[in-house]
Amino acid sequence: MEAGSASVRARFGWRLWALVPVLLLTVAVAAVSLSGDRFAELIGGNPPPADEFDIRRVEFEPGEIRILVRNPQPDDLTIANVNVDDAIVPFTVDGPTTLGRLRSSTIVISFDWVEDDPITVGVTSSSGVQTVTEIAAAVETPEPSLDSFFGYALIGLLVGVVPVALGLLWLPALRQASAAWLAAFMAFTAGLLTFLGVEALSEALQLQALLPAALGGAGLVLLGVALSFLGMTALAGMLGRGSGATGFALALLVAIGIGVHNLGEGLAIGTSFAVGELQLGTFLIIGFMIHNVTEGLGIAAPLAKTRSTVLALAGLALVAGAPTILGTWIGGYTKSDVLGALFFGIAAGAAFQVVVEVSRYVARQAPGGLRSGYAIGGFLAGVVAMYATGILAG
Amino acid sequence: MSKSRLTRRKLLAAAAPIAAAPLVAKFALEGSAEAGGRSHISHTDTRHATSPAGTDAQGQAAIGHAAMIGDEAPAVGGPNDLDALLYPPPAKPYRRGRVSEHTLVAVDNDLEIAPGIFFPAWTYNGTAPGPIVRATEGDTLRVHFRNEGSHPHTIHFHGIHPSNMDGVFEVVESGGTFTYEFEARPAGLHLYHCHATPLKKHIHKGLYGAFIIDPKEPRPPAQELVMVMNGFDTDADGENNFYTVNGRSFYYARYPIRVKRSQLVRIYLANLTEFDLINSLHLHGDFFRYQPTGTGDHWEFTDTVMQCQGQRGVIEIQFANTGRFMFHAHQSEFAELGWMGFFEVVD
Repeated sequence: MEAGSASVRARFGWRLWALVPVLLLTVAVAAVSLSGDRFAELIGGNPPPADEFDIRRVEFEPGEIRILVRNPQPDDLTIANVNVDDAIVPFTVDGPTTLGRLRSSTIVISFDWVEDDPITVGVTSSSGVQTVTEIAAAVETPEPSLDSFFGYALIGLLVGVVPVALGLLWLPALRQASAAWLAAFMAFTAGLLTFLGVEALSEALQLQALLPAALGGAGLVLLGVALSFLGMTALAGMLGRGSGATGFALALLVAIGIGVHNLGEGLAIGTSFAVGELQLGTFLIIGFMIHNVTEGLGIAAPLAKTRSTVLALAGLALVAGAPTILGTWIGGYTKSDVLGALFFGIAAGAAFQVVVEVSRYVARQAPGGLRSGYAIGGFLAGVVAMYATGILAG
Repeated sequence: MSKSRLTRRKLLAAAAPIAAAPLVAKFALEGSAEAGGRSHISHTDTRHATSPAGTDAQGQAAIGHAAMIGDEAPAVGGPNDLDALLYPPPAKPYRRGRVSEHTLVAVDNDLEIAPGIFFPAWTYNGTAPGPIVRATEGDTLRVHFRNEGSHPHTIHFHGIHPSNMDGVFEVVESGGTFTYEFEARPAGLHLYHCHATPLKKHIHKGLYGAFIIDPKEPRPPAQELVMVMNGFDTDADGENNFYTVNGRSFYYARYPIRVKRSQLVRIYLANLTEFDLINSLHLHGDFFRYQPTGTGDHWEFTDTVMQCQGQRGVIEIQFANTGRFMFHAHQSEFAELGWMGFFEVVD
């Protein structure tokens, strides 16, 4: 009996001890929450809450404006008054009028807005603080319909799948290249992926900065980066069976890395288009196409020394390009600003992991390894190519 | 080797769902393009047919001014809440040696100036504008001032009086009192307001009101109204968020002012709007006589008057028609931020 309990203590003892800080923390938390604001009163008065809304989205429908607002602060926030272009307007609220922490509601206004004109909307809380948002141009918000569904798909196809597929057609040329030149092209792939990773990280950090502090911020981005980097590491381990990925496996990793990035890119295009920030002209689509055609080259480079079927190539093109379509749908139809930051974080992590894989490959295969002029030149060429063509898509 | 092939097949299986969607989309789109460019009319129609219905269900059919009158107008309170600020006490005939006594108490008060919007005001007697002070020319005006607010205040009256009764130097600390005493002159519409510094803050916070001095020779009998134009900067950015007459935005849109066509209407109009250079009143459907400062023999015949801060005057009108007539600031922005109302002219 005693021996039994001793062995139980030996087996579970450290776990029980681990509970002690948790229990004490619970007691401390309870004590602080019961004290109310008395701590603050010891020091001096608490400053009043900012009472500003987080205006997440403004949508325009014929004769109607819809404002999606969120309460970003711990204290409750009440929608008391709504202005459009500095005029008080009657409104209804779809959802609660008094918003708890991080709760959202949609304000509905009957309003004869003028197409393409800039417009400001202001939401005033009961303490009189007005939060104002300017919309550069009022355009009707695309609603989910078969038309817009296909429209987004077509845009995604044009800027994602088509250029990647075209880029893959460099494969026959690559097969003729010498080992040194092939290493240069692989380094080119690493360069372009590094560019995409940095771009995605920058985008993710910008998006998280717009979120209320309570919704994670930089930690959310790190979560995305870590998830995808470690996930891709595991995947690379499986595909390469321990010794670094080569050939088709490496091409697949590159395609996934690019695909995840393109999901974010599609998301950005869809969101911007839905809220009227982006003028999606033919010039922009052409810009994205030229920008993304180099991605196809990046996928083709690892395949130069292996045999691959047309079907496999088509699969790779879809893995890298089709997520753009998915991204435009998500961006165009969902209202989550958290997803954007998370997705771009995921894209950055995936891209960086593939850079690691490709670099290993170059180190192994290139005559002269990573220090050869071909490797260094190729990497720089990859970055420069993405930067230069990126100007077209900017 | 066999393991590698398995991986490829896995990959293709995984890619299949992603592949299917754009292909379906592509074929469908090509189909509609062949059918003749914009063959989407049926979709568009459905959307437009459902959207207005949804709008109706929310009771938002009325737009424009029609949505801003009566119960639709976003104004605070009941129908008689502002009577004490709109209807002045009656004029008293001149009598030698009369003392006109008043008590003004400065108090901090959260005022609901628009539905759900609370402005932390500094007030005389709890309202912004403060109460109407009325005396007859030649009266001895005695105003007992008590400061129950959290900041030092004064009362500065417009008019003719000794310098030690001017409300500039004798600042009354919180908890203190002061009695202003001087002869009420000249006849006209004047003002009173706090002159503690910072002046802009003390005025904008609500410390002001109308001060009527009736002439010894009384004005003709009339339905008398007082309108003090003001604004409220609720988020302290130096710009008014709401404009009102007598302290509540859109109040007279919700509760139109009833007047009789057969009767002379006299409006004592003053401007105490802070931050903006001017304010104005425009009356629809009629013309009125306007006597600047309520003094002198000069009357203007117009339907729009403009005042800078501190300017005021007396309007007299006998309405030509019955019905609902709008009045508002002819700065459209002010009108749409609350400075708009209606007269209900009846026989």
